[in-house]
Amino acid sequence: MRFYILPLAALAIPLVANPYTQFMVNLMLVYVLVAVGFNLVLGNLGQLAFANTALFGIGAYSAAMLMAHAGWPFWLVIVPAGLAGAAAGFLASVTALRGIRVYYLAIVTLAFGELLRWSYIHGERATGGTDGLAVPNSHFFGIALDSETARFYVFLLIVTVLVKAVSNLLQSKIGRAIVAIRDNELATASLAIPTGRYIVLAFTLSGFVVGIAGSLFAVLIGRVIPESFGLIELILHFAMVLVGGLGSLLGSVLGAVALTALPEFFRRFPGLYEMFFGGLLIVFLLVQPRGLSALAARWWQPLRDRYYREH
Amino acid sequence: MLELQHVGVRFAGLQALSDVSLTARGGAVHALIGPNGAGKTTLFNAISGYVALSAGTIALDGAPIHGLTPHQIAAKGLRRTFQNGGLFAELTALENVLAGLHARIDASFAGILFGSRAARAAEREALARARELLRAMGVAHLADQPVKTLSGGQQRTIEIVRAVAADPPLLLLDEPAVGLAPPVRAQLVDLIRRLAGERGIAVLLIEHAVDLVMAVADVVAVFNGGVKIAEGAPAVIRRDPAVLEAYLGHV
Amino acid sequence: MFALQLALSGLAQGAIYALVALSMCVVYRATTVVNFGHGDLVMAGAFVVYVLVVLAGLPFLASAVLAVALLFLLGVLIEIGLIERIKAGPHIGFALMCIGFGYVLRGIARGVWGREVLPMPTVFDFPPVIAGDLVVTADALIIFAAVGVLLALFFVLFYRSSAGRVMQAVCQSERGAALVGINVRAFHGVMWGAGAALGAVGGVLIAPLTLLHPGLGASFLIKGFAAMTLGGFGSLGGAVAGGLLLGLAEQWVGGYVSTKLIDVTAYLVIILVLALRPNGLFGRAVAERV
Repeated sequence: MRFYILPLAALAIPLVANPYTQFMVNLMLVYVLVAVGFNLVLGNLGQLAFANTALFGIGAYSAAMLMAHAGWPFWLVIVPAGLAGAAAGFLASVTALRGIRVYYLAIVTLAFGELLRWSYIHGERATGGTDGLAVPNSHFFGIALDSETARFYVFLLIVTVLVKAVSNLLQSKIGRAIVAIRDNELATASLAIPTGRYIVLAFTLSGFVVGIAGSLFAVLIGRVIPESFGLIELILHFAMVLVGGLGSLLGSVLGAVALTALPEFFRRFPGLYEMFFGGLLIVFLLVQPRGLSALAARWWQPLRDRYYREH
Repeated sequence: MLELQHVGVRFAGLQALSDVSLTARGGAVHALIGPNGAGKTTLFNAISGYVALSAGTIALDGAPIHGLTPHQIAAKGLRRTFQNGGLFAELTALENVLAGLHARIDASFAGILFGSRAARAAEREALARARELLRAMGVAHLADQPVKTLSGGQQRTIEIVRAVAADPPLLLLDEPAVGLAPPVRAQLVDLIRRLAGERGIAVLLIEHAVDLVMAVADVVAVFNGGVKIAEGAPAVIRRDPAVLEAYLGHV
Repeated sequence: MFALQLALSGLAQGAIYALVALSMCVVYRATTVVNFGHGDLVMAGAFVVYVLVVLAGLPFLASAVLAVALLFLLGVLIEIGLIERIKAGPHIGFALMCIGFGYVLRGIARGVWGREVLPMPTVFDFPPVIAGDLVVTADALIIFAAVGVLLALFFVLFYRSSAGRVMQAVCQSERGAALVGINVRAFHGVMWGAGAALGAVGGVLIAPLTLLHPGLGASFLIKGFAAMTLGGFGSLGGAVAGGLLLGLAEQWVGGYVSTKLIDVTAYLVIILVLALRPNGLFGRAVAERV
């Protein structure tokens, strides 16, 4: 029940935030979902996969195409976006299972992501090419999504539900098994734990969550373009998970909230974005590899229990 | 009951095991000894499914298990420990034992995802059982420490607790006494005897410490060069000339 | 003849890929770290040459040598300052660290270059060689010569000299090498430097030929991976073969199917090879100890 404190408190945000700040908060919600999904594979399962932007993009483009070409309302595209991401995640897991060497997964997912981006660019009318697709105004079961406030409440609901589900999973025997696979896959199998099944599960669920995040992103930005889902975006995802804390759900939230607003600052100075986020990865790896969540756990005891159990 | 018939294992040109036949019964401790490289751990890997057989069969209570994956064999009741430590380093001792109870926790995927009462109850039950197991083994105070912070002896104890948590009928222990101080070794001997005697578990044990083997084993099988060269009661093996020549004599 | 002309361009391009892949493979074999920032090191080589030639006015050859030397130094510094420090952590840490400094390099380049795509002034100013119907450009000739010599030197060094034996020893067993007195840490530093320097040569060679932009690094990384995967991950000869083959494949696909597909060839190669024949052409299967 402690889980709901944060979302409930967040309900008050629209009362004090101006539209720009509200937009930022909405973006943070999207990235919370992105980080939670990514952390599942990168932190909990411990697999080096470069698929996250691909999953993000597939969800965003699926939602955008269904809304722009087929006229579907937002509430109807959420699950298909998630399923598209899940399918891609599933494909990645198949590679992970076949993996003979550790880096194969990283390389294949990198190639796959860039291949997808190429197909967005060359998708002509379907994907809108380099200009991308405009996402039409839509509604969520009647609630018009034309204001940042309306979007906030809808996003908050979706994000809370999904993050709670992931939290439940991480604290269960399945979450434990996933981390066990990371620490020692062979020993995990010796305990009658179906390692293959759980690897597939982690990737597929990650894809589902990040795919839905993509659909939220499409509505929030109002346009999907191939450039949004390339390697520049990927380092932001990596940074959020590392800075927040690999394997920690709380960390995913902290990382997303801490870093979402930053890219805006760097837009004006070419090169600063890459230098900052690259530098951030380096600094955290050297100084605080367990991320902000470990720092938080050191200060406040109740957080430590949660951190360990989610590890 | 575990039954190996004419088991052979070959690694690209190297015959690691040849024509090994062996029977292990519930309630008895069956020790495997022999010099390094004799094939003992390979035999464990073959039994538990990590290595494929090139010849022979392995059956558990009559049903063949060779060719199955490690997790399938484990599901049939086999548990083991690993020579190089098979614990989950980042997890606590308690969480390691809980992982050992995984198969016993009755929670469905949907139940877990939606936080059903049944799923949460199953988890609480497992938690209580895991704490009890640690307490019975005298290591309750280590429960919440990440196992990578524990000493070698403590780690081996936790690994054994994890392995027996789900009451397996067959247990493979790979050099459990390495690095243990004498008083802890005595506890280990006691533990193994109890597992076999009180719980009726069939225990297969790889050990180099001859004194420990003599104290705990019902049957000793001696390996050298991938072949079983002798098998029998400890006292008999001690006097076997072939064994003395190959192994014990060099100690 | 068309096929042959394509083959020529393909081999020239492929020679660069071979260098990039080989330099990545050297670091991987010597230190077991896959450098996800390697493409950016190659880009840095090109970038340094550009800065020295265009902004500092130095002659090309001097700039090239300086660039390679600087990149060697950078490689060593990265190894001892960053990679060595996180040795105790999980392997994921290495990958993230490499991605990190790769992006820092990219950021620096973008900061200086801005949003533009920059051409270098022509360096190799002599006329192409015509052999029958084939046109061999000066650039291609220089690349073949430079890469050919470099590769020959490398393999001779690796397999025949005593320094090479040291390399082989450490590649096979670090503990063993340490036990016989080889300074493994220094070795790691030097190998990173060597890898960076080799990669820089690739960057230097490509600088006069393409429009330079900071994103070149990502492109090189993928091509390097594709080449290594095709040739067999971890095989030095395989990296070279894979690079050449990739160059050929790109030009043939571009010439016979569609120029749009040139960019994608590398991705397709990666996916197809790993799906059908994960060990590549010359790779060996790896067993795992339980």
